[in-house]
Amino acid sequence: MLSKSEYKIPAGKLVKINLEYDKLSKKIINIKITGDFFAYPEDSIEIIEKELKGVSLKKKDIRKKIDDLINSNNFEFIGLNSEGLSDGILRCLK
Amino acid sequence: MKEKWRFLLTEGDNAYRNMAIDNAILVANSKGLVPPTVRFYYWVPSAITIGYFQSLEEEVDLLMCKKHGVDYVRRITGGGSVFHENELTYSIVISEDHKKIPKNIMDSYGRICGAIIKGLDNFGIKSVYHPINDILCNGKKISGNAQTRKHRTVLQHGTVLLDVDVEKMFSLLRVSDEKMVDKLVSDVKQRVTSVRNVLNRKVPFSEIVNDMKKGFEDEFNSELFSGDLTEEEIYLADDFEKNCFSLEDWNHKR
Repeated sequence: MLSKSEYKIPAGKLVKINLEYDKLSKKIINIKITGDFFAYPEDSIEIIEKELKGVSLKKKDIRKKIDDLINSNNFEFIGLNSEGLSDGILRCLK
Repeated sequence: MKEKWRFLLTEGDNAYRNMAIDNAILVANSKGLVPPTVRFYYWVPSAITIGYFQSLEEEVDLLMCKKHGVDYVRRITGGGSVFHENELTYSIVISEDHKKIPKNIMDSYGRICGAIIKGLDNFGIKSVYHPINDILCNGKKISGNAQTRKHRTVLQHGTVLLDVDVEKMFSLLRVSDEKMVDKLVSDVKQRVTSVRNVLNRKVPFSEIVNDMKKGFEDEFNSELFSGDLTEEEIYLADDFEKNCFSLEDWNHKR
């Protein structure tokens, strides 16, 4: 299944998601995250996109994956956070 | 003793060159080859820049760009899409470890935007910093700013709108309804202003340069001396222009 969403993170920036997911297992196959946020270092978003492959489309699973990546790599986001990003991704299911 | 910083007035260049020069200064400064640098410039032809993480085709109407002869380029900084026409664009490059640059990224936006606010004030325009990265005058955006940090060096660049054709701007940029969902004024065309709108007269780039430059000197208690790009920077800029910013691969990468 292909789906896309746009989500303005409260007090943050606009995040756009292009999602390909497995309809039966509800797992992420491919994801592209774009938007007018700031992320350091610049490859942080590509790393998150890659690591989200295979993750279940459940808020706590997505958030945990993103939080783990942020913490282990010292990513810094401005106008973006793991909650907003997960909410944006889950909007693709609506 | 005031610290001496370099001031570059490179004036008008095309979009690829402009982004290549900012990147060249960033690299040269990170190698310790050049002092902290403030650069003022503008865009010939008019151009759109998009943030590093944006999708080009989702943000920009490429056919309209072609029709209007407007270039487009992806920045190395995050943030949103900007239509550059009739503006003063600045960049500042300085070590992340410099004592005048807050370690915290949000604080450093505020500090550098302080220079723009002081510069506008010198020119008779009152404005305020509106986090994350805007400067507002009478509640409308007069300046947008974007920062990246690489090789322990800060690059922040941004705009001061001298005049704005909102119809043209929003025929080139695609703005999603979702972006405006929590804004008080939801019509994007009502959300931007310019030096001309505020002062009721046309102001050319050359007229505002000195006051804006003084804004940086006051904010950072430094002296800006006029300089030129070094040979190394020109070499780097040539390379970045040719092998990065002018390439489809770069501009369409997301």
